[in-house]
Amino acid sequence: MIAAIVAQLGEWTAPVIDWHALAPELILVVGINLVLFIDLNIGEARKWAMATLTGFVLLAAFVPVVTLAVIGDASREMFDGRYVVDHYALILKAIFLLVAYVVVLMSQNELEEGGYYQGEFYVLMLCSVLGMVMMASSRDLVSIFVALELLSIPAYMMAAWRKRDVRSNEAGVKYYLLGVFASAVLLYGMSFLYGTTGSTKLVEIGEVLASGDLIAMQVVAIAFVIAGLAFKVSAVPFHSWAPDTYEGAPTPVTAFFSVASKAAGFVALMSLIFLAFPTATGVYQPLIWVLAVLTMTVGNVMALRQTNIVRMLAYSSVSQGGFILMPLAVAGTGDASQSAVRAVIVYLLIYAFMNLGAFAVVIAVSRKTRSGEITSFGGLFGYAPGMAAVMTIFMASLAGIPPLGGWIAKFNVFKTVIDAGSGAAYALAVIAAVNTVIAAAYYMRVLRQVWMMPAPDGDITPLATPAPVTAALGITAIGTLVLGVLPGLVLRFGDLQDLTGALGR
Amino acid sequence: MSLFLRDYLTVVWFGLAAVLLAGLLLGVSAAIRPSRPSYDKQIAYESGVDPVGMGWSQSQIRYYVFALLFVIFDVEAVFIFPWAANIERYGVFGLVVMLAFIVLLLDGLVYAWKRGLLRWV
Amino acid sequence: MELLVFVIASGMVLVGAVGVVAMRNPVHSALGLVLTLFGVAVHFVAMEAHFLAAVQVIVYAGAIVVLFLFVIMLLGVDTAEDLSIEPVPIQRPLAVIIGVGTVVLVGTAVIRTRDTIARGPELEASGDSNIRLLARNLFSDQVLAFELTSVLFIVAVAGTVLMTRKQKRVAPDRDRVGS
Repeated sequence: MIAAIVAQLGEWTAPVIDWHALAPELILVVGINLVLFIDLNIGEARKWAMATLTGFVLLAAFVPVVTLAVIGDASREMFDGRYVVDHYALILKAIFLLVAYVVVLMSQNELEEGGYYQGEFYVLMLCSVLGMVMMASSRDLVSIFVALELLSIPAYMMAAWRKRDVRSNEAGVKYYLLGVFASAVLLYGMSFLYGTTGSTKLVEIGEVLASGDLIAMQVVAIAFVIAGLAFKVSAVPFHSWAPDTYEGAPTPVTAFFSVASKAAGFVALMSLIFLAFPTATGVYQPLIWVLAVLTMTVGNVMALRQTNIVRMLAYSSVSQGGFILMPLAVAGTGDASQSAVRAVIVYLLIYAFMNLGAFAVVIAVSRKTRSGEITSFGGLFGYAPGMAAVMTIFMASLAGIPPLGGWIAKFNVFKTVIDAGSGAAYALAVIAAVNTVIAAAYYMRVLRQVWMMPAPDGDITPLATPAPVTAALGITAIGTLVLGVLPGLVLRFGDLQDLTGALGR
Repeated sequence: MSLFLRDYLTVVWFGLAAVLLAGLLLGVSAAIRPSRPSYDKQIAYESGVDPVGMGWSQSQIRYYVFALLFVIFDVEAVFIFPWAANIERYGVFGLVVMLAFIVLLLDGLVYAWKRGLLRWV
Repeated sequence: MELLVFVIASGMVLVGAVGVVAMRNPVHSALGLVLTLFGVAVHFVAMEAHFLAAVQVIVYAGAIVVLFLFVIMLLGVDTAEDLSIEPVPIQRPLAVIIGVGTVVLVGTAVIRTRDTIARGPELEASGDSNIRLLARNLFSDQVLAFELTSVLFIVAVAGTVLMTRKQKRVAPDRDRVGS
C-alpha cells in the first residue's frame, strides 16, 4: 500500500477542480471574509446590515446549488471520488442553506436588541454552515472530520454567546467538553478504520470490509465511529449535553443546533453507513437499533415531564432523532436499503421546517411574555390567533398528524422499517408507534394552553412580531403544509443509487 | 542493531555528551568555589524588590490571546513544511493553494489586529 | 533494541497519562501531558514518521501545552476545586467501569486482530519520504480539507476576539427563554 504510494510520487498531477461544483463552498468562504471585514469597518449603528449581508451570502450560495441540480444529471466527482456533488449532496446542501437563512431571520432582532457581537455571530454561523455544506459532499474520513470540526467549533462559541449569563456559559462549556470528547472517540474509531483498511476513502473502506469477515478491530472501529456521531445527533445515552445546552443557548442558536447540527451528524452517519459499512450490517444495525429505541423512548418520557417550553422542545428533538435513526437501524435488511436514504432525507427536511417553526413561535411569544414556561402560552389564541394557528401547525406536524409534513416524514420511516420485514424491524415499528402516541401527549399539552387556557396575568396585549421573524414563520409554516399535502415534491430526492453510484465505478 | 537505531545513536551520544559536560562544569565549579551561605543570599533577587504573594497567582487573559495566536501560526508552519520541502514539484498549483491558505490565515490576523487584540492595554 | 525503545516510550506515555489524571496540581498535570506527548513522539520516530514526530514536539508538546498552562494560570491554580465532593455519587464508579470496559474492549480487539493485519512494506529509509507523502496527499486528494482548515483558524481568532473583548453594554435578559 505505502510502497504503491511511494511509487506514484513521481507522477503527481494537479487535481482537477470543478469550480461549478465547488461554487457553494467558495461563495461561503468569500462571504465569511466579506462579513468579517465589513463588520470591522462599519459603525455600531449600522450593524443591522450584517444580517442582511449574511442572508445574501446564503442566497448566493444557494444559486449554484440550484443550477447544479438543474444541469447535473450525473454526479460530479473531485479528488479521486473523495468529494462528490450528486443529488444526495445537493438536497442536503439546500437544506443546510435554507435552515441557516431561516435562523438568520430569527436571530436578527435578538442580536440587535441584545447588543451582541453581530459581526462575529454571523461569521461563526457561516463557518458552521460551510462545514455542513462540506459534510454533504465528503466521501472521505479526513474531509468528514474537517467538516465536522468546522461545523462544531463555531457552534460551541455560539452556545456561549451571552457571556454574562451563567447558563449560557454552562451551555457552551457542556457542549464543548462533550463535543470534543465525541470527536476524540470518532477519531479513535477512524484511526482504527484507516489502520485496518489502509484507506481513508469511504468506498475503498467499504470494499476492504466487504472482501472478508470483519476482524475484531474493525468491529470496534465501527462501534466507536457510530458512538462518536451519536453524540452529535444527541442519541441516548449520548444526549446528556442536549437539554442544558439547548436551554442555555440563545433561542435562535438552539433552533440552529437542534436542526442543522443534528442533520449534519445524520449526514455523516449516512455517508459512513452506506458507503463504508454497507456489508457490516451485523455490527451497525443492532447498535443503531438500540440507540434508536433508547433515544425515542427516553426523549419522550423526559419531554413529558418538562414545564419549560425550550427544554420540552430539546427533549422532543432528542426523541425525533430516534425516529430519524430508525431507517438506519434496518438499512441493510431486505428492501429497506433502497428507501432508507430517502426516508432519512425527507424526515430531515420536514423536521427542519417544523422544528424551526416551533422555535420561531417560541421566540415571537417570549418577546412579549419574557417567560419560557409552557403556561406562558395560555390565551395565545385570544390575543394572537394567527400565531396560535401556526403553532398548531408545527405542534401537530411534530406529533405526526396528517395531512401535515410530519406525517409524511413518519409514514416514510415506518414504511422503510416495515419493508425490512425482519423481526427486529417489526419490534422497532411497534416501539416507535407507542412512542408516537406518547409524543402526541406533550405536543397536545402545549396546544391546550394555546387554545383553552386563559392568558397568565390577564395580559392580552397583541404580539409585536418583527418582520424577519414573521418571514421565518411564513417560510416554515408553508414548508410544513406544502410538504404534507404534496409529498411528491421531495419523495424523488435521495435515492440510494445517488449516494452509492460511486460504488459501481 | 537496526538501521533506525544506528541513525539515532548520534542523538544518544550527543545527549550523553551534553549531560556529561554540564555535570563536569557544575561539579568543577562546586568543588573549587568558596561556599558561605547566608539568608540574604538565598532569597530571590538578592538586591531587588521583595516578592509579594504566591507564585501561583492568577494571570491575565491577554497572555492567553498571544498563546493562542502562537498556536495558530505554529500549525500554519506545520502545513507549510511539506510544501516547502518539495516546492518545485507542486509548481503554480501549490503556490496558489498555499497563498490562499496563508491569505485566509492573514485575514484572521488582520481581523484580530483591527479589533485591538494585539494591543497590550 | 527496538523493543527496548518501545517499552521506554510506552512507559513515558502511560506514566504521563496517569500523572495527568492523578496529580492534584493542574500545572503538574500539564507537565504529565508533556511527558505523554513526548513519548508519543518517540513512538513516531520508532515508526520512522520523522515529520510527525517533529510536529508532535513542536505543536503539541510545545505550543498546545503552553496554551494549557496559560489557561491554568488564567483560572488560578490556588482556587482549585475540592475534588472530594461528588455531586452525583454514582458517576465515579461508573466512569471507572466504563474506562476499564473500554480498555478491555480495545485490548481484546487488538489481541484478536494481532495476526490478521499484514505488516505494510517498509518506507524508504531516506528520512524525508514521509514528508513528501504528506505533501502529495495535501496537494491532491485532501486539498479541499486542507484549504478549509484555514477557515478553522478564522473561527479560532473570531472566537478569541469574542471571548476576550469586553461587552459594550449589558443587554436585558431577553434572548434566552428561561424561567
